[in-house]
Amino acid sequence: MTIACEDYRVDNTFDELMTSDGQPRPLARGLCDFISELGEQELSKRVAAVNAAIMASGITFTVYTEAGNIDRAWPFDVIPRIIDGREWARVESGLKQRLAALNLFISDIYNEQNIVRDGVFPFEVLQDSKNFRSACIGAMPRFGVWAHICGTDLVRHSDGEFYVLEDNLRVPSGVSYMLENRQLMKRLFPEVFGSYRIQPVDDYTAQLYDTLAALSPRPEQRPIIAVLTPGIFNSAYFEHSYLAQQMGAELVEGADLTVLADDCVYMKTIDGLQRVDVIYRRIDDDFIDPEVFRPDSCLGVPGLMRAWRAGNVGLANAPGSGVADDKVVYAFVPQMIEYYLGEEAILPNVPSYLCMYDKDRDYVLANLDKLVVKPANESGGYGMLIGPQSTSAERAKFAELIRANPRNYMAQPTLSLSTAPTLCEEGLAPRHLDLRPFVLQSSQLYVTAGGLTRVALRKGSLVVNSSQGGGSKDTWIVQGVQ
Amino acid sequence: MLSRVAENLYWMTRYMERAEDTARLINAVTLMTLDMPGGASFGWEPLVRIAGLDQLFFEHYPEADETAVMRFLIQDERNPSSIMTCITQARENTRTFREVLPWESWEWVNELYLYAKRELSGELDRSRRYEVLQAIIRHRQGIVGLLSGTMSRDAAFQFLRIGRNIERADMTSRILDISHAVILPADTPVGEQYGDLLWMNILKALSAYQMYRRHIGVHAKSAQVIDFLLKDALFPRTVLHCLTEIEEVLKVLPRSMPVLDTVRATRAMLGTADGAVLAKAGLHELIDRIQIGLDSINAALRERYFRLPDIRSPSFESAES
Repeated sequence: MTIACEDYRVDNTFDELMTSDGQPRPLARGLCDFISELGEQELSKRVAAVNAAIMASGITFTVYTEAGNIDRAWPFDVIPRIIDGREWARVESGLKQRLAALNLFISDIYNEQNIVRDGVFPFEVLQDSKNFRSACIGAMPRFGVWAHICGTDLVRHSDGEFYVLEDNLRVPSGVSYMLENRQLMKRLFPEVFGSYRIQPVDDYTAQLYDTLAALSPRPEQRPIIAVLTPGIFNSAYFEHSYLAQQMGAELVEGADLTVLADDCVYMKTIDGLQRVDVIYRRIDDDFIDPEVFRPDSCLGVPGLMRAWRAGNVGLANAPGSGVADDKVVYAFVPQMIEYYLGEEAILPNVPSYLCMYDKDRDYVLANLDKLVVKPANESGGYGMLIGPQSTSAERAKFAELIRANPRNYMAQPTLSLSTAPTLCEEGLAPRHLDLRPFVLQSSQLYVTAGGLTRVALRKGSLVVNSSQGGGSKDTWIVQGVQ
Repeated sequence: MLSRVAENLYWMTRYMERAEDTARLINAVTLMTLDMPGGASFGWEPLVRIAGLDQLFFEHYPEADETAVMRFLIQDERNPSSIMTCITQARENTRTFREVLPWESWEWVNELYLYAKRELSGELDRSRRYEVLQAIIRHRQGIVGLLSGTMSRDAAFQFLRIGRNIERADMTSRILDISHAVILPADTPVGEQYGDLLWMNILKALSAYQMYRRHIGVHAKSAQVIDFLLKDALFPRTVLHCLTEIEEVLKVLPRSMPVLDTVRATRAMLGTADGAVLAKAGLHELIDRIQIGLDSINAALRERYFRLPDIRSPSFESAES
């Protein structure tokens, strides 16, 4: 194993910490020096201590297929990713701009649909959208905001630019790992925190609390906030529990809640029923209210939609927000920003080919081996075709799927995701990354300082999802070196 | 406090307490067998019987020898009351209410689980068994201390207290019953001498010996020990003390009247108990009645606080106005 920076090889991708001639970038120099001074032995010792801490604290996620063993330790890489604070300021404005436009779009779609009438957004996309909820037509939540918590996936291409890969507007997860990674990092390299000015991340939960509290229908009193979880078998249960604990909120399951004839939501407590003002729900639309959506759902609360439409409970994210969390709708976000805000998009989209358009579809079908094909409504990296790594049988299968349901597919050029040094068995080696910042909006907009950097731990892999062999890194937004 | 969370808290401490008390019992019994005189025999089988698990045990083991009984009580995950099962259950329960406890509680419970999982996986000979069980007791005591030192005396804490005390009362009464486990040679001086030894070890199994000596006397006589473990007001593991603790908690919990009634009825059984009489006859019967009383408290708690009320029934709604 080697941890010497000189032995680190960058291929033709952008590396977050190293330049192509094997030198640390200016902001990474302090870290590289520190690690080589530390030496392999001391580094291994600290890594072992941190791994033991992860085991003991039970920072876990769940893999659906592993029956009987419901949690796995969170794979954490000890080398942080460093981003220049000045660059981040621009990304932050871009993220705020994007979420503001998306929320205007969702409000518009469930009400006047001006964007369709003005010919900016095609009606067909809406018509076939799996996540359009007719139960939300005519609704207008507080502040006109539907998606209060957004996880936006960014990737850095070989040109050094950040591109938006997708907007997760339904139940984005991962923020607890961002917070825990920072705690682990402070235990691991306390010395480095003295020489870098790293923006803290831990005000997120207070910001989340404020975002949710602003949705309370009874602003005159301290709101009762509940985090609604599907239960301990959900892959993100650790996070649900963590956020409830950090906010002093109740962690509830569907069966703990009930909606009475007054269209208010109550939770069942040892004192009897207690009214709930705001619900941060971590359950998909389909399952939240069997009266309106899937009748077989036992995770949700019958009558929840009634209570929400009557304005008696705040729901984050609002039902129906997922209409903008669609990989085809995604392609129209730059137009939305222009249409609603009169601004140019600060953060670029990845160029996208929509299979619903004949010209795009012909191109996609002819270039399947070069493109990444994504279904419109899947998350977690499922149901994708990664062209350059695919077999001809897989490509034939996707060609068939696309022809059968063109609206449901879009394709993008294969990006060369940026890399960063990652501690692997052979030492420090480049591994591909993305970045998921979390953006909040109710009365105000807020962006986390950095976000969750996910890393594909397998050599050459571009899949960063934790359910598919991904890990994560601490992300530092740094204001220059002292 | 959510009804579901209250129930999980209650069971979490019951499991924890059961794991700890079982560990204490096993260690005390092991030490006692070393002191047995020739001619006396110790039946391992009563250990399973006093736990109310004899039927389950014989479904899985042909014979109640030391190895089988120890494996069953300590490691066997088919036994819902084995130490390993209890720790696993306590951990799973804790997972569902991490947000109501001090944050590091989960870490400590998880550590105890990881320790038990690791150490209880292979065969345990007598000396290692003692060490591992002592460590489990210490781990659990650490968690008790953490909660007692860093947790608000809120409803969550009160449900932990109820769970701990009901399990303790249950265990103390069961351990008293172990006096049936030893068959001594009848009517000999040896028998008398080792009768003291038996009662001393019963006190030790409840970590009560030192306090008994300080407050009652040096000799562990059956009548006094029975009186002490049932009715002493100051020692925290006596049946009386546990019931009093539960009563104190219920006084501050809402809508507790029906549960309080069951606690008081159970405590009334102790009023007429007389160690001198019970030492000769009737102890086993009294213990049975106390067990039934504890069950009725458990049922009343469930009815009052844990059962998710049928919220559409008008009676429940009107109870709220």
